[in-house]
Amino acid sequence: MAKRPISNVTLSNRKWALGYTIAGALLFLIYQFLLPWNGLPDGIYRGVYQWMPPAAVNESLVYVIMALGLNIVVGYAGLLDLGYVAFWAIGGYCAGWFMSEFFYFLNIHFFGSVGLDRPGIHINFWMVLIIGGFVCALFGVLIGAPTLRLKSDYLALVTLGFGEIIPQVFFNGENFFGFNISNGTKGIVIVDPIPVGVKNLGPFDFGWKLLIFILLAAVMVFISLRLRRGRLGRAWLAIREDELAASMMGVPLMRTKLASYAVGAFAGGLGGVAFATHVNGVYAERFNFAISIFLLAMVVLGGMGNVWGVILGAFVLSWVNGTGLVAFGKTFNSQFGTNIDFASFTFLLFGLVLILMMLFRREGFLPESRLKLVLNEDELDTASEAKKAKK
Amino acid sequence: MAKVAELQKFKGTRGQIRRQRVERIGAIIISLVLALWMLVNIIEAPSQFAQVAILGLRNGLLYAFIALGYTLVYGIIELINFAHGDLFMLSAVFSSFFITVWFNQDASNPAGWLTFILCLFAVMVFGAVINVLIERLAYRRLRHAPRLAPLITAVGMSFLLNFIGLKWNGSTPRQWPTVIPNFDIYVAGVRINMVTIMLFLVGIPLLLGLNYIVTKTKNGKAMRATAQDRDAAALMGINVNKTIAFTFAIGGAMAGAAGLFYQQAVGTTNYNLGFQLGLIAFTSAVLGGIGNLWGAVVGAMLIGFIQGLNDGLPIAFGQQWSQSVVFTILIIILVFKPAGLLGKVTTEKV
Amino acid sequence: MTNVLEAKDVSVAFGGLLAVNSVDFNIPEQSVVSLIGPNGAGKTTFFNVLTGLYKPSAGSIQFNGRDITDLPPHKIASIGIARTFQNIRLFGLMTAQENLLVAMHSHLKSGITSTILRTPKQRREELAAEAKAQEILDFVGIGKWTHEFARNLSYGDQRRLEVARALALDPKILLLDEPTAGMNPQESQVFVDFVRRLVKERDLSVMLIEHDMKVVMSVSERITVLDQGEKIAEGSPEQIKNNPRVVEAYLGKAKS
Repeated sequence: MAKRPISNVTLSNRKWALGYTIAGALLFLIYQFLLPWNGLPDGIYRGVYQWMPPAAVNESLVYVIMALGLNIVVGYAGLLDLGYVAFWAIGGYCAGWFMSEFFYFLNIHFFGSVGLDRPGIHINFWMVLIIGGFVCALFGVLIGAPTLRLKSDYLALVTLGFGEIIPQVFFNGENFFGFNISNGTKGIVIVDPIPVGVKNLGPFDFGWKLLIFILLAAVMVFISLRLRRGRLGRAWLAIREDELAASMMGVPLMRTKLASYAVGAFAGGLGGVAFATHVNGVYAERFNFAISIFLLAMVVLGGMGNVWGVILGAFVLSWVNGTGLVAFGKTFNSQFGTNIDFASFTFLLFGLVLILMMLFRREGFLPESRLKLVLNEDELDTASEAKKAKK
Repeated sequence: MAKVAELQKFKGTRGQIRRQRVERIGAIIISLVLALWMLVNIIEAPSQFAQVAILGLRNGLLYAFIALGYTLVYGIIELINFAHGDLFMLSAVFSSFFITVWFNQDASNPAGWLTFILCLFAVMVFGAVINVLIERLAYRRLRHAPRLAPLITAVGMSFLLNFIGLKWNGSTPRQWPTVIPNFDIYVAGVRINMVTIMLFLVGIPLLLGLNYIVTKTKNGKAMRATAQDRDAAALMGINVNKTIAFTFAIGGAMAGAAGLFYQQAVGTTNYNLGFQLGLIAFTSAVLGGIGNLWGAVVGAMLIGFIQGLNDGLPIAFGQQWSQSVVFTILIIILVFKPAGLLGKVTTEKV
Repeated sequence: MTNVLEAKDVSVAFGGLLAVNSVDFNIPEQSVVSLIGPNGAGKTTFFNVLTGLYKPSAGSIQFNGRDITDLPPHKIASIGIARTFQNIRLFGLMTAQENLLVAMHSHLKSGITSTILRTPKQRREELAAEAKAQEILDFVGIGKWTHEFARNLSYGDQRRLEVARALALDPKILLLDEPTAGMNPQESQVFVDFVRRLVKERDLSVMLIEHDMKVVMSVSERITVLDQGEKIAEGSPEQIKNNPRVVEAYLGKAKS
């Protein structure tokens, strides 16, 4: 019985893509048109603002973009990256440098969205997106080139090291060998609005920015899916499965891993620029280790390797972390007269997500179709794998 | 056989030889730069140099105790136990509560010293028990899973312990009194705190004891056998599960001791202490050659020393770059000499 | 007949242990050669040297007149030395077809952008690769399993898939590491015919590590015997059969 060809994956992908489009369109319509509508009952309005404010939805989408990038590194190529926040930071500062008055002594404009008389560098948002992406990709390669030949767990540690060093550089960046590269802890405040032809999207245009973030996430989905089915995606998968056998079959390990780093980092850059426009600034203290772990938890929760699972995981976890816990805490506390600080439970939550998922549902909630096969089988079958792992 | 002797002189292929040459030149350059930097500082401020060096070595001793746990666990199941740093943090909080809250000691007097000794035992048991529990509940079930799984679980564990620390210690740093002799003595104009001396007096025998356990006792031998080849050890009648649990217990006990030392030496505890110190300790373990006990100690002393100098000397990057300095060391070591200073290279079998 | 591969004076030392000691080894074009010897004789180590996994401590390896001693494994694989593994190492969670496509990696050209944009060129290349993969799968007799995950195949089919994957590299030399392990005599016989067909139809040489003497004797043109890292005999099956040193290596020295 010949199994149905793998193209049924594309079929389900098509279904998912349709779902994504509908969900995205609905979200946009709700937040752009329904919420500001005067006829909307006050209760619903307040409910939405407590449980799902526009800013939280936008932030979730930024996390989706970055989780999709991390998924390429962790889910596709099987390399553990614990310092992904570094790319977020670099992308963010690209926005800070090229879309604000930070370089007050310069006056460079390139299709920017502010008046020509304003000092600083003002490059068009869409270009900065691409610049941010490529700068991050470059850094991904720079970080990866010397370290990717390391054993997988050492690699995780080196990425973690870079994830600490780069934010520290920005944190102390007010005086980096005599130069101010980041404004240090004060951060770079006020990033240019996003030009979309007819208007400029400032910090409070949540609805339209939501649409832009949905589009960016869609671009990442598209890139992920296309790469996955191509030559490179197969090589990543092969490396994830058996590095040694892959190299014996002519797959250049370094180059292939570097490619996954570069593409993953590119997404980090997109996310970083997007986030900077979302919060209208770049703040050094936001880029900490916990973010890298949040992103990892999103990838793990949704299902390593499956873009739709990762989207779900990122959306849910970032919502829980940003809004859900606090909103739930408020309701809970007022209901039962308690005074529990629910926001402090994030550590517990993310820790438990990682542990429980690894122990009981390693393939995630929406597993990649091929992973379903193995990850939850009995120990007998894994004995051979164990031997392999030991060697 | 003459041939063997001749081949042992073989240094590698052209690529390997080039790499080795780069390694050697790199090592020489780095050592020279370090030496020059120290020399400049010694001339600039000799007594300050001695002072921060001693402080650095004291921190190095602390790191060594944490690093031992990493190295032991990695040696036996090849897992970077990310939660280990947080175990240390919990131990520090435990010690604080044990001495100050439960036993109500806040001064350096015989009662305080006695509590310190009591606490040393208690916190070592505490660390051991927690570490064994973590192994039993999480890592053991993942022993045959793909490598990513236990690693991610360890990161999760780290967050979990972080949470416990947050709830126990509070979200802000807490100050605690010291109960061991805490006064300064001056040796040739260099100020040395008694706590530092006490730590070495208690710490070094502990290290020797650990060395004895690992090299001489039956359990220690079982440990080393299991680290070498788990299947073969099992065939020889070694209870692998028990041995791994024993390893976690020893590592946990050492982290416990480190927690007490830290709490007494530094006097503050914070819930996110473990992340930073854990990473520094792991760097030490890697620097010394992971899996190698004395390597971990040497690496930790070295890292503590360099970090102490960097944080305290007039001509240095300064404390705000402390993390970056340590991580840069880690990255350089991993890239150029992944086996560490005292470790051996291993290759994959087919 | 010219040699497609020439290994000269190859030695491999692990610390003080000499796993392979000054072995000369040639593989003529379109031939079947075998490497036999007791366990621990250094056969697989020698394989690993040929495929670039280990670097020889001394000696050199020439492939089609090119020195490949220092090349990394993936380069060696892509210029035409393919292998299978003693313990099967397929990409279990990939389909049979994908396993072959991975092996074609070095022969395909599409990069990141052309894959994302799915250019006509990239599409043509993929289709051609898929067709070629199908052809190879048919050749080894598992054409119906194209879209089955490798780990779901039966043991015998997994062995075939490993050979198919190696063939996807378009090798000039195919190294088979104990290919008949776990096969019964009938299957082994089928395998012998398969190896002959391989050499004839796909224009390559086969090098075998094999314990099954029946297979070795019936398929090899030349046999090399290793014992404790040293080459103790080389010759046609007839010569090897009657060589006293070989008998001694396998059965131990007769006490006299």
